[in-house]
Order: sequence, then C-alpha cells, then structure tokens
Amino acid sequence: MTRQDETSATTCHAPVDPAVLADYWLGVLSTAEEEAVESHLFECDACGERLRDIIEIAEALRALAHSGALRVILGDTFIRHVEQTGRRVRQYDFVPGQIVPCTISADDDLLVARFAVDLSKAERVDLSFRDPQGVERGRMNDIPVRTNAGHVIFQESATFAKAAPSSSMVARLLAVGTDGEERLLGEYFFQHTRTISGPPGWE
Amino acid sequence: MFVEMSDAALVQCIADGRHEAEAEMCRRMGPRIRLYGLRHLRSSSAADDLVQQVLLKTLEALRAGRLRDAVKLAPFVLGTCRMTVLDLRRSRERQEQLLEEFGRVLIPVQSHAAPLDGGRLARCVAALKERERSVVVMTYYDEISAIETGRSLGISEANVRVIRHRAIKRLRACMEAVA
Repeated sequence: MTRQDETSATTCHAPVDPAVLADYWLGVLSTAEEEAVESHLFECDACGERLRDIIEIAEALRALAHSGALRVILGDTFIRHVEQTGRRVRQYDFVPGQIVPCTISADDDLLVARFAVDLSKAERVDLSFRDPQGVERGRMNDIPVRTNAGHVIFQESATFAKAAPSSSMVARLLAVGTDGEERLLGEYFFQHTRTISGPPGWE
Repeated sequence: MFVEMSDAALVQCIADGRHEAEAEMCRRMGPRIRLYGLRHLRSSSAADDLVQQVLLKTLEALRAGRLRDAVKLAPFVLGTCRMTVLDLRRSRERQEQLLEEFGRVLIPVQSHAAPLDGGRLARCVAALKERERSVVVMTYYDEISAIETGRSLGISEANVRVIRHRAIKRLRACMEAVA
C-alpha cells in the first residue's frame, strides 16, 4: 500500500466510526481500544480529519453549554459540579402553585428552576410553558426524569432571560399517558423582573 | 518529490542527510502529533509544544539512524508522543538544546481552517430531543462521565452512550445539511 492509499480521505479502507472517535476524544475508550485508535490515526490522515471535525463540534458544544444559553433539563450532580467550578448559578426553588419572583444579573452564568414534583407514577413527562392568558408558548416533550428525584431541574436560557423584559410565565409539568392523555403534576408561576437593560424596543 | 514518498523512503532520505525530507516528515507527522496532544493535554498551546518536542526527538533519532525498521515511522512517533506526554513536566533544558540544533527545519502546523458556526450549532442543539440535549450539555460541559450523567437523569450508563452517539450523529447531519 502506498502512502497515498493510506492517507487519502476517500481510500481509508477501515475508517474509524465517528462514535468511536467521539468516545476517544472524551477519553471513555478502554486502553486497548484507545491504543488501536491512536495507531490508526498515526497512519491515516482521513480519520485524523474526521477527529478534527469531532473535536471542533465537541469544543463548540462545550462553549455552548458554558454559555448557559440553552433551555435544557439538567441533573443535581451537574449543578453541584458547575457550582464547585466557581461558576455562578442563580437557582429558584418552586413548589406547585407557588408564585416565585425571579430575575437574573449580568454576572450570573446559569439560571435554573427546581420544580418540586412527585414523579413516582409518571412514565413520560412533558414541561409546558404558558403565558398568563393560558396560551401554550412552548413545550419540552418527554424530558429525562429520575422517578424518585422529587424534582425536575430546568435551565432557562440565561441569554434570553438577561434580555427579556419583566413578564410572567407559567411552567406546567404533565404526565402523558400512552394514549396521549395528560395529567397535571404541578404548575409553577414565574414573575420575572428585568434588572439589567435589554435590547431597545423589547418591553 | 518527497510529498509522494513512503514513510520508509523518507526515513532513509533523512538518515542520508536530505534536509527536505526532514521538512516533509514534519509536515506529515505534525498534524497527527497535534491531534494526540489535543486529546491528551486538552490545550492548543500544549499540543503545539508537544508537536515541537516530538518532532525534535524524532528528527534526532532519524538523523542518527536509530530507527531500526524504517517502515515503522508512525508507531515510533506515536510511542514518542506517549513518552513525551508522560515526561512533560520534566526539565525543558533538553528541549532547548534540541531546538537550537534542529529548530530551523521545523514548520508550524496549521490548525483547523474555518471556525465552526456557533449560532448554527445552537440551532441544531435546540432541535435535538430533550434527552439528547440534556446528555450533550452534561457530557460536554466538563466531560462529566456517563455514569454521573445517567444517575442524575434517570438513564442507564449504556443508554447515555447510545443517546450521546445518536445526538452527535444528528448534530453532524444538521451542521452538514444547513452548511
């Protein structure tokens, strides 16, 4: 085999699966698997190029996760980890039916709501957002939940919250049956007050 | 001429004192060493330092004809990477000596060209299923393990891996589709 055959992007005869490359980057392969991947990478620039793409996505995902800009369900250990690394997490605890005044400051990194809820009899759970008039403005379908957790941790987009005007919103946790029937698990009321200036015209 | 040459032929040319062959060896191996460095050192600057150190050691060995089996250049460089990473915290004195001797044949390794579109990636992440987004954020924020991620989200470790693989596949497809 010539060097061209070994390294061309189109002629790698045994390309490493992108999932394996992603695991390699995360350092979760066994020693033997890792050594096999590294030996291949030192012979094959095509797979090296694929790994570069994966590293690029991984680094961009890291930056995105750090930005706090995503609406996402998170776990307890994650929140603890973020706090231990010195990042500012603004957290609000909600019990069903409670109205919670909330805000965000410029130096907060993450904005998190912890909804107390009994999940013991729920198989699928949706998180729905309504305006004060009862119109649904968004829904997170089939969120990951730990049935014995006693709460759901929701990260609101810090980017959005920092720009948003003072407003109210209702979050609803719903158990969804296999037939699509919904059962209310809890309703939580946000009363957001803007404390930093937002973009002009968004009042 | 050297670009098309096999690793084994390149090794022979370097042993014969052909400096252009040394430059080609650096061009060929530099990016591979850098990838190894990024993976194990988690820093672009540390990876760049590793490239320099490993190329210097390799050049020194090749010039001295110490690589017994010329076809084993890549395994030799990989082995040198592993040893160098292990020795990284040791004195830099030796590196400086080598730099003085071989520095002129080193060429910088180019990092990846166009940066990834962060806005596009954010839209692709927002389009993931909820479980996928949670797993991706928790995994890549600080490389939190699948065990920890799964434990706090009520998902098995094996399933976290499956979800992560599926999410990355979706993200790559999404990024390519809107490119």
